[in-house]
Amino acid sequence: MKNRTIEIMAPAGSWQSLQAAIQGGANSVYFGIEQLNMRARSSNNFTLKDLVEIAELCNKKNIKTYITLNTIIYDHDLILMKKIVDTAKQANITAIIASDQAVIGYAASVNMEVHISTQTNVTNLETIRFFSHFADVVILSRELSLLQVKEITKEIEKQQIKGPSGNLIKIEIFVHGALCMAVSGKCYMSLHTTNSSANRGACIQNCRKTYTVTDKEDGHQFDIDNEYIMSPKDLCTIGFLDQVLDSGSSILKIEGRGRSPEYVKTTTQCYREAADAYLEGTYNKEKVKGWMSRLTTVYNRGFWDGYYLGQKIGEWTGAHGSKATKKKIYLGKAKKYFTKIQVAEFDLEAQHLKEGDNILIAGKTTGIIETIVAEIRINDKQVKGVKKGDNFSIKLNHKVRPSDKLYKVINN
Amino acid sequence: MIQIAYKREKCIGCNYCIQLAPDRWRMNKKDGRSVLLGSRNKRGLYTVKVSDVEYEANKASAKVCPVKIIRINKLSR
Repeated sequence: MKNRTIEIMAPAGSWQSLQAAIQGGANSVYFGIEQLNMRARSSNNFTLKDLVEIAELCNKKNIKTYITLNTIIYDHDLILMKKIVDTAKQANITAIIASDQAVIGYAASVNMEVHISTQTNVTNLETIRFFSHFADVVILSRELSLLQVKEITKEIEKQQIKGPSGNLIKIEIFVHGALCMAVSGKCYMSLHTTNSSANRGACIQNCRKTYTVTDKEDGHQFDIDNEYIMSPKDLCTIGFLDQVLDSGSSILKIEGRGRSPEYVKTTTQCYREAADAYLEGTYNKEKVKGWMSRLTTVYNRGFWDGYYLGQKIGEWTGAHGSKATKKKIYLGKAKKYFTKIQVAEFDLEAQHLKEGDNILIAGKTTGIIETIVAEIRINDKQVKGVKKGDNFSIKLNHKVRPSDKLYKVINN
Repeated sequence: MIQIAYKREKCIGCNYCIQLAPDRWRMNKKDGRSVLLGSRNKRGLYTVKVSDVEYEANKASAKVCPVKIIRINKLSR
């Protein structure tokens, strides 16, 4: 176990989330460029111009970068697809996550590292052997059990199945975040109801809503067990991460390009700590309790184990939206930071703020800062609290930038 | 007259508008996003004024657009 490395891969749906992933200790990040990715609708995707900046930022910190280019591809997408792959290669992006053969074939032909997306629904060794001609990493289907995963990783080693790089194929699995009712995300519902294809990254999430079943004969209507019967709870594996890692997976992926930067930071931190604890042999129940309570503070639909432990049917969420124990309220923007005296100045545009409140500051370069307000000053005079319209300053150890957003964090 | 307005930046290249109103929409194969023919671009919003004859087809395009970035406005004479 000593030489083993475990990669924690975090979602970067925005600049803030990218910074949050870095702050959280991610070993790699994944993100979409332009519209050819599975979060074309819900996340703030980066443009081709952003690629160089992202690669420079991450390469400097030794963080791997992956572009998700995993939608269904039409003929009219081919030029853009090739442009994204070419630009990524030039910018020193680590790899492309692909599911369509057009992307897999093209990226491999220009010697760009390829990772096979979970959208490809890989569930067995022979499929991995097939993809090993093109790809170095395979992201397994989320419907497999850990026993099945273990069998696959064991055989890869035994049969020495290697990718184009000459190294053994690495196995990546999802460890945290949203699951959907469709097998490997291949869902037709959103397209069927609103022409909005999930497989083009435009899912409108029909499965997250509540439905009533009507008896056509007498018109009686039933709500089924008061559950959102198509909306699975979120995957959370931190409670059995030892088993997850025993399966031989080397890359652990956190879902959530549509989620907030504090979600990214918290989940990345928890899974990084858990993986390190596993490697050091200090992973235990007490620690799991701590990680679990931190994970529930950020967006979640309630947690379950997914299919990893062999459970056959899903656990459905009992409510719409998040069960996070904390939420944030927008307060205002940062104006200035005085580095020497470590003081940050803000304009309060909404609500009120007092000493002892938990705050969160988010920005493109700042990432996220979470802290407690110690002392508030207006015109250098100490005050107990401030209200909408006030310009005030607080002591802050971290640098903030103009237009960084200030939030108050409260219990939900 | 009607005005068609289109926020191109958000287009995901699904091809529906072209299927339903092929005389007014084309696919730009360079970036995989739809082009509103004859339109002018003002800060990312593409607009064009056309005859009422095109209303039905373009209304249908607006209706099926998955990211709701096409608007059809009837102009008073």
